[in-house]
Amino acid sequence: MIKAEKLIKSYGTGELELVVLKGLDFEIKTGEFAAIIGPSGSGKSTLLYQLSLLDEPTSGEVILGGVRTGRLSMQEKTDIRLGKLGYVFQDYALLPELTALENVALPIIMQGHTMQESYAKASLALERIGMVDKKHNLPSQLSGGQQQRVSIARAIAHEPQILFADEPTANLDSVNGMRVMEAFRDLHEKSDQTIIMVTHEPEYAAFAERVITLVDGVIVSDERKSVVK
Amino acid sequence: MLLSLRVGFFLAVRQLRRSGKGTTILITFIMILTFLNLVVVSGLLVGLISGSFKQFREAYSGEVLITSADGRDYIENSPALITFLESHPKVKAISPRYSVGVQMLGTLTDLPGKNEKPNRIGITLTGIDPDREEVVTGFSRFLKYGEPLEEGDEGQVLLGANMIKRYSSFADANIPGLSLLEDVDIGNRVRVSFSRSGGGVVSKEFIIKGIVKSKVDEISTRAFITDRELKQLLPVNKEQVQSIAIKTDYEYASTLVAETKEFMEGHAARIQTTDEAIPSFLRDIEQTFSILGNALSSVALIVASITVFIVIFINAVTKRKFIGIMKGIGISPRAIQFSYIFQALFYGVVGSVIGVILTFGMLKPYFDAHPIDFPFSDGILVATAEGAAIRIAILLTVTLIAGYIPAKIIVRRNTLDSILGR
Repeated sequence: MIKAEKLIKSYGTGELELVVLKGLDFEIKTGEFAAIIGPSGSGKSTLLYQLSLLDEPTSGEVILGGVRTGRLSMQEKTDIRLGKLGYVFQDYALLPELTALENVALPIIMQGHTMQESYAKASLALERIGMVDKKHNLPSQLSGGQQQRVSIARAIAHEPQILFADEPTANLDSVNGMRVMEAFRDLHEKSDQTIIMVTHEPEYAAFAERVITLVDGVIVSDERKSVVK
Repeated sequence: MLLSLRVGFFLAVRQLRRSGKGTTILITFIMILTFLNLVVVSGLLVGLISGSFKQFREAYSGEVLITSADGRDYIENSPALITFLESHPKVKAISPRYSVGVQMLGTLTDLPGKNEKPNRIGITLTGIDPDREEVVTGFSRFLKYGEPLEEGDEGQVLLGANMIKRYSSFADANIPGLSLLEDVDIGNRVRVSFSRSGGGVVSKEFIIKGIVKSKVDEISTRAFITDRELKQLLPVNKEQVQSIAIKTDYEYASTLVAETKEFMEGHAARIQTTDEAIPSFLRDIEQTFSILGNALSSVALIVASITVFIVIFINAVTKRKFIGIMKGIGISPRAIQFSYIFQALFYGVVGSVIGVILTFGMLKPYFDAHPIDFPFSDGILVATAEGAAIRIAILLTVTLIAGYIPAKIIVRRNTLDSILGR
């Protein structure tokens, strides 16, 4: 599904050069729920940005569904992000002027669907994560946990091949954090959704079936384990 | 492209609907003021002059004015021309006028002392048919004091206020060469005298019946008696008049001029539309005011474009993170740019629409009903639908550019940097 080949990401040049990712090689298969964990500064978010085509590696390549993404134009990458990838950000990242339904429908409209189709798909996605009753609320009228669940609905509404989540529970209390993680687990179990999640909290990483540990830009462990039920 | 427009519109509508009402009202208010600055300031400047054109037409010339040709004392073929005009289906009314340059003596009882200048002025004496003149120019409205001139009046004269020291606007101006009648008022006698073309002097005394005043010089600086009486004083060419004011449709004036010229083939006369009869210096002033108005409008336009630029720029900068997120989840940069352009256009369109309503619904009717009292004219607001449309197009174009540039600057920034606020 998605493969990293000799992935290097560095910032600065010369003596000030900081190498954040040091030649990573790994592959995540379709239907996997992988957590990338590691201490602060280990490069886990940087790795997620490279894999999700939000950033370009200094060298090496990300191969997505057999496509070598290094050769793609900005527009082609935008099209892939819109059509094949889904994103959940740490701080929910909902547009404040759009209702929950409109936030979720936006990427679907951008895909060329009619408003009616887009709202229908968006409603379905909100229903899947139990937020359909709040669909007409603005983000400011939702709690942090609810906003993050709307953000998940937005990420899955267009049925992406891979769902990327960057510290999705970082701004939530433990109750809401757990509800968000349960939403991820449901998606994975019921829809076989491929999920790549960055977190620094081991209890949330335990929801994933595979945990990749990163320290100083190097994978120090890559474990498959039984998922928390 | 269409998809980007659709998404841009989707975003813009919601951003406008749910953003701060105060900001929207403030920006719209600025756009309304800009529109008014574009249309009203130049419209009033031009209107000060156009007001004098309008008054010239309504108070003196009518839509078409026929006067003696250069080097002629009268309009040739006057009787036939008057018959032609009276029977013309498009001519609503005409006022043939006699006029002759005369000397008017104000003090009849005392002879001037040695080295003393007599109380005398040169003035144009105009003979009118009061009823016909009333239909063409509403002459009686210029009567400020005394009684109006009536058909059958004899030995009665109406004097233009600007020729009498007591009533003249220029009395204290001390203009070299300007002579005004002193110690003259309604009920006083004045003596009019003029030379016959064949030699000798015609002289007759008149009682001042009234004082007429208008911002049109042809009213305020002349003396008026009935045409019948002036005709009796004229030794020759009694049927040949010096001017004919014609009331017709304004739009038909140039056609009537052409038709009249055709009719007058071989007979000398100056046949002009009211606009052609206006002195060229007034046209020059109109042009200068128009340029001045456009210059002021340009400044207003620059201020408005900077305002829109700043508003959109700040709006986009404060939403940089959300712009990054939208780009991150695959919303095309063009759609995001369109959303800001639509917002800018919204401000421009709303400002223009309210501006049009204010201009044509309130200001124009107001200035038509209450013109600005200017010394040489009653200033009106000149605003045409065509002129307003051009200014709206300019305003919207400037707004569009002022919205596009800041949106482009922010949208083209690195997606990840925008998301992370770097």
